[in-house]
Amino acid sequence: MIVAEQKTLEEIKTLVGSAKNVLVAGCGTCVTVCFAGGSREAAIVAAELRMASKLAGDAKAVADVTVQRQCEWEYLDEIAEQVGKVDVVLSLGCGIGVQAIAEHFPNAWVVPGLNTKFMGLPTEQGVWAERCAACGDCILGLTGGVCPIARCSKSLLNGPCGGSLDGHCEINSDVSCAWQLIYDRLTSMDKLEVLMDIQPPKNWKTSRDGGPRKIVREDLRLGKEE
Amino acid sequence: MSGDLQIVAYCCQHCAYAAADLAGGLRMQYPPAVRVVMLPCTGKLDALLVLQAFEDGADGVMVAG
Amino acid sequence: MTNTNGYLSGSNLERVLKNGHFAVTAELGPPQNADRSVIIKKSALLKGYCDGVNLTDNQTAIVRMSSIGAGAILVQEGLEPIIQMVCRDRNRLAMQSDLLGAYALGIRNLLCLTGDHQSFGNHPGAKNVFDIDSAQMVQMVSEMRDKRIFQCGEEMKGQEPRFFVGAAESPFAHPVDFRPYRLGKKVKAGASFIQTQIVFDIPAFKKFMEKVRELGIHKQTYILPGVSPLKSPTMAKYMRDNVPGILIPDEIIKRMEAAGAIWAGKSKDELTPEDKKARSKAWQAEGIKICIETIQQLREVEGVSGVHIMAIEWEEAVKPIVEGAGLYPRPVVPAPEPQADKN
Repeated sequence: MIVAEQKTLEEIKTLVGSAKNVLVAGCGTCVTVCFAGGSREAAIVAAELRMASKLAGDAKAVADVTVQRQCEWEYLDEIAEQVGKVDVVLSLGCGIGVQAIAEHFPNAWVVPGLNTKFMGLPTEQGVWAERCAACGDCILGLTGGVCPIARCSKSLLNGPCGGSLDGHCEINSDVSCAWQLIYDRLTSMDKLEVLMDIQPPKNWKTSRDGGPRKIVREDLRLGKEE
Repeated sequence: MSGDLQIVAYCCQHCAYAAADLAGGLRMQYPPAVRVVMLPCTGKLDALLVLQAFEDGADGVMVAG
Repeated sequence: MTNTNGYLSGSNLERVLKNGHFAVTAELGPPQNADRSVIIKKSALLKGYCDGVNLTDNQTAIVRMSSIGAGAILVQEGLEPIIQMVCRDRNRLAMQSDLLGAYALGIRNLLCLTGDHQSFGNHPGAKNVFDIDSAQMVQMVSEMRDKRIFQCGEEMKGQEPRFFVGAAESPFAHPVDFRPYRLGKKVKAGASFIQTQIVFDIPAFKKFMEKVRELGIHKQTYILPGVSPLKSPTMAKYMRDNVPGILIPDEIIKRMEAAGAIWAGKSKDELTPEDKKARSKAWQAEGIKICIETIQQLREVEGVSGVHIMAIEWEEAVKPIVEGAGLYPRPVVPAPEPQADKN
């Protein structure tokens, strides 16, 4: 899932600025399960903004609403009327949600309430970790199901580098060395021979380096009416 | 204590709320500023409930459970 | 096309190694400014005492004069540069273009490295590159030389860069069991020489070399273990505790401490500046002594072709180390006569 973190109230206040009517828009999918921008968080941020603005002598009208997914037009249609009535929409969706609102409602001013962090998973209650960098050409079959692109600090394909120590990365003892994980897993699966070949340079064209990406599935597209 | 003060007391129905009930039965006095709100469990208390109390004019929130 | 008479690059380092001499390389850290006199001053301390001088490439991710720039100065000064290049700061385009330039400036040796993460240095907010890794860089530059192609596969027209290509290995970094195999991968990729992380623990290094010999890697590349003179017991403990892949036996720490024993137990205020100077001198003398002994022991290990002296910001130490280890003067292997281009 996409993992995000809320911006500080101070930054949110700055982003909302002098707007009188504010709509805090939560999202019911990824950011709900990482406790950053679901209905509960949207209600809390709305209450915080109301109180903060009242204390500042500039009481704002702040409502909150949460849609199932901000990243799909159909769900956004549900809040079209509310969006039309406010001066600013504070989206608690990921970066995709914010842009979807901007794109779907050309007249709405939308600002982000979250920082979108990464694609990952909760490794334990309250802890999320990055797992995928969306490089566009999955190599997990070569690395025992551990991604060196997302999880090695240097995205090495022929790791580990000399900075691997006691299972952690040189940058921080809280970061696991992806190549130690790969080595351990391939050893336990008796597949270490996979690591003996030199992996050639990666074609980063499928990644962000090739420019913004798009997938077109002709089999799924709706035919244009004659 | 000023008469204008308002304190919202979120109380667990199994202990603090039951204790408040018993205190009432015994005709014990407590300040009128305290408004008791029963919760099924204080584990149900959410930041949102606390914020709501303040937003609605409470001067303080008490949690008992 | 250059005819190299059987040499890959014809560099001094390659000639020394190929002719069976025990090679000595040293390290020179370029300054954090644009002052060429720093390079000239430091190179004067190394001239004649080594077969090649490693020029670090933004070492520990701190901006310094480029290894190629410093390398060109060394060429002018009559020293042999071994430029280091890390994968952190350049993509494959920049690497290849800089290497074409480096060759044109007279640089003939290249050490391919992954590079320390930028979070260690003075620009932790920088975007890193890591387009290719060190094994892939070795392969790329070897193919530029041997196949006369760019990384993309396109043919190179005209003079190809002919580098003596090296790589690094850290024998004691984790997972230790995989290190000889990873070394093998770099050699397979085309690394003609290997410089290692600093070695203090001889038995551990011997164990590593046993596996290297079992795999036959020592016959396909020249292995130059890294050594470094310690400056103080504090430095020794810092390296032991904080630098991945550096093992320092207790005995060496004890020797360093013993060297400063007469000043031990005194607080900073109790020591006069003269005391501190004398203590520092005693420590440095012991550090150099340990380094010389380490070189002598490494020389006895089968498969070791030379030694790489990393006297970090202490280039003055190289001379006494090389002399003390009986490695002075350095051999002179004449460059082959360039043959006329038959094409």
